[in-house]
Amino acid sequence: MSLANQLRYHLNVSIVGNSVLRLQRWQGEWQMSRPGSWQNAHIAPPVAVAPRLKELISRHYLKGQYAHLGRKVAWVTSGAPVEFLVALGYFVLYPENHAAVCGIRRMSESLCTAAEDAGYSPDLCSYARTDIGSVLTGKTPVGKVPRPDVLVCCTNICQTVLFWYRVLAHHFNVPLIVIDTPFLYTEATERAVAYVKAQLEDAVIVAERVAGRSLGFDKLKQATRYSRQACELWMKIMECGQHRPAPITAFDEFFHMAPIVEMRGEAFTVDYYAALLAELEQRKANNIGAVTVESKRLLWDNLPVWHRVRWLSEMLAERQVALVASTYTNAWGELAHLVDPERPMESAATVYLHPILNRGTGHKLKTMRRMVDDYQADGVILHSDRSCKPYSIGQIGQRNRLADELGAPALLLEADHNDPRAFSNEQVATRLSAFLELLEK
Amino acid sequence: MDSTPTRTQVIAEHKRSGGRIAAVFPVHYSRALFRAFNILPVEVWGGGRTGNAGDAHLQAYTCSVVRGVLSAHLTGMLRDAELYCVPHTCDSLQGLGSLFLDLVDPGRPVIPIYLPRDEGPAAVAFMASELRAIYDRLAELTGSRPSDADLQRAIDRECEADSVLAAMLELQGRLALPARAFYAAARSREYLPAEQFAAAGRRLLETTVRREEPAGVPILLSGIVPEPEEILDQLDAAGASIVADDMACCGRRNYAMSTNSDPFGRMAEQILGGPPDSTRGVAVERRLAHLLSLASARRVRAAVFYEVKFCEPEAFYLPQLRRGLEEAGIKTLALEVDISERPSHQIATRIEALLETLA
Ligand code: SF4
Ligand code: SF4
Repeated sequence: MSLANQLRYHLNVSIVGNSVLRLQRWQGEWQMSRPGSWQNAHIAPPVAVAPRLKELISRHYLKGQYAHLGRKVAWVTSGAPVEFLVALGYFVLYPENHAAVCGIRRMSESLCTAAEDAGYSPDLCSYARTDIGSVLTGKTPVGKVPRPDVLVCCTNICQTVLFWYRVLAHHFNVPLIVIDTPFLYTEATERAVAYVKAQLEDAVIVAERVAGRSLGFDKLKQATRYSRQACELWMKIMECGQHRPAPITAFDEFFHMAPIVEMRGEAFTVDYYAALLAELEQRKANNIGAVTVESKRLLWDNLPVWHRVRWLSEMLAERQVALVASTYTNAWGELAHLVDPERPMESAATVYLHPILNRGTGHKLKTMRRMVDDYQADGVILHSDRSCKPYSIGQIGQRNRLADELGAPALLLEADHNDPRAFSNEQVATRLSAFLELLEK
Repeated sequence: MDSTPTRTQVIAEHKRSGGRIAAVFPVHYSRALFRAFNILPVEVWGGGRTGNAGDAHLQAYTCSVVRGVLSAHLTGMLRDAELYCVPHTCDSLQGLGSLFLDLVDPGRPVIPIYLPRDEGPAAVAFMASELRAIYDRLAELTGSRPSDADLQRAIDRECEADSVLAAMLELQGRLALPARAFYAAARSREYLPAEQFAAAGRRLLETTVRREEPAGVPILLSGIVPEPEEILDQLDAAGASIVADDMACCGRRNYAMSTNSDPFGRMAEQILGGPPDSTRGVAVERRLAHLLSLASARRVRAAVFYEVKFCEPEAFYLPQLRRGLEEAGIKTLALEVDISERPSHQIATRIEALLETLA
């Protein structure tokens, strides 16, 4: 970064940007503290740290807007090892997260359509279509998305990302680092770990070349340490949902998970989760539930339906149902114990082989069974996501087993995480109502 | 290949002679490895009248290949198989392999094969180790341990069959055969023992009349599998001659030769060195370069992408591939099908319309 660019970056991001965002946060905090500012009778007011989350996310995208002044930009898949990129000073962008933001802000439909107009099948994952649509049109709800200098694709969530990133590499004409993680039908073998480690070592070489600097081992250890701390805190945050009434629901977690996905390896992420956990502990102590009257508790499986999170959360809360946990958010905490900051490369090879999406349908069923127990869930909603085959295939058998073996009513809810055209309010409302009636019996 | 035995005959004959049968799902694996254990791999691509029993376990947005394979299992059509082999081809086949291991009783051992999505030394080494692990599994199941020399002999036999298939593909469109007959011959590689395929293929090459030029408009056929076969009749009827094949079941398994002295390394190099295939996750640029070179060598005028609905490996690259071919003056047509259903009239009309533009 040249001196002039450094100054411009700091002026825009660290001084002006940060001040504006801080001001907005204070405004948010002040508004939330005003009596009567929260109107929903069925859902508790948001946690006091919520404006801080908004500030974190906005600052993240702000840094992205000015990244061209000197930071290298890496676009990475959500399950990719990111610590070496953080240690190398990259600005890291997660197209899946960006696509989710587009979904929440009701932009995903038009972006999916733009991708389809360019020839991409409407049957492709709606994250990929949203992202490709955004790349092709330049439209985004976050101001500006920085162009990548390198792409990092880890296949530990699906094969879809590989094709998607190949398309991006072709479009941007930048290097693509592929970290191929053999799918774990059963347990990880030593040879699979060695294969992933060898690729990680190669990945570092490419990332160093693009960044024009060498990876400092201490920095890598530090980023790995922050990752582990954040994952541990995130796990504790989710475990708060085991309390009755649950002070946090999976709907809340869908938003609070943004930093653990896109800001892993950073000190401010650790600080944020520490503050959130402290507040939730307080809510537990005061028996404040996220749903004002909690009669029933449910587990959610699969991605959120981003474009209907609020609608679904209000609908369930009105029926006194709390969504106390989800396999999706759980995925970012459950592997914390495998992260070893003293052996960052070796442990990364193991950790990044083990996400739930890289494991068999039986493992997911086991996870759900355990979560039903741990969170004392009365039933399960399995979001059958037409966009996400790796997460959804197996759900029919899983639903049947959960119902038969645990006696836990389980509903298969057909939808799409980011394409509102595959969602019918009426149909979902009818099916959910019937399911909730069954639950209430 | 008129006298080519049917699948049922081949299976019965192999079992009579004391061999075993493995039902293998798409796309890439090592035939030689199974044959070294006297196990005949018989491939199942989900086509035919498999019914819809698979719908009890798979959502409607799963591709018809995977639904067809599961239906075939559930209705007892695969009863002759003593084991299943599930290559890790895509998210959907990954799901199917996992279902068999965890949620749907396969009634026999299931062997998944992970396919590295790279071609560098680490990937080849991993593929070789994967094949070695399968060797151990097969040894455990059969009680035999073929030597390296046995394995090399089995690989040699497959290489011989592959070279015959390559010769057939080279002459595709110039052999005076209906498309359906050509594919019946080429796809008998999916179940015939290599030596029988090689002999039958050589016979076909010797006895079939060769034309100087293809009879119809030369086209390239790309996709996963030409099922149901009526599509081939429709192409013939519209006046197309398939002169270049880029189907996963055929041309994309025209494997590279390798001289590696380690049989596992040799098998791994062959699979990973095969023609660029979306299911191996190769780059778009390489797929396009491959199609352009096939098209130019065979003077192709149009490319038909015959795709299975919900097939992500194929669908992602379609826009780039079509654009690249169109820029080279090759017309393209993309068709999307459910292989368990008969091709619609609309498909025939679209093929006719394409060919009319080239008339
Ligand atoms: S939603 Fe599913 S298919 Fe899409 S990128 Fe994520 S894991 Fe892959
Ligand atoms: S058709 Fe496509 S999605 Fe279906 S099994 Fe084959 S490669 Fe997978």
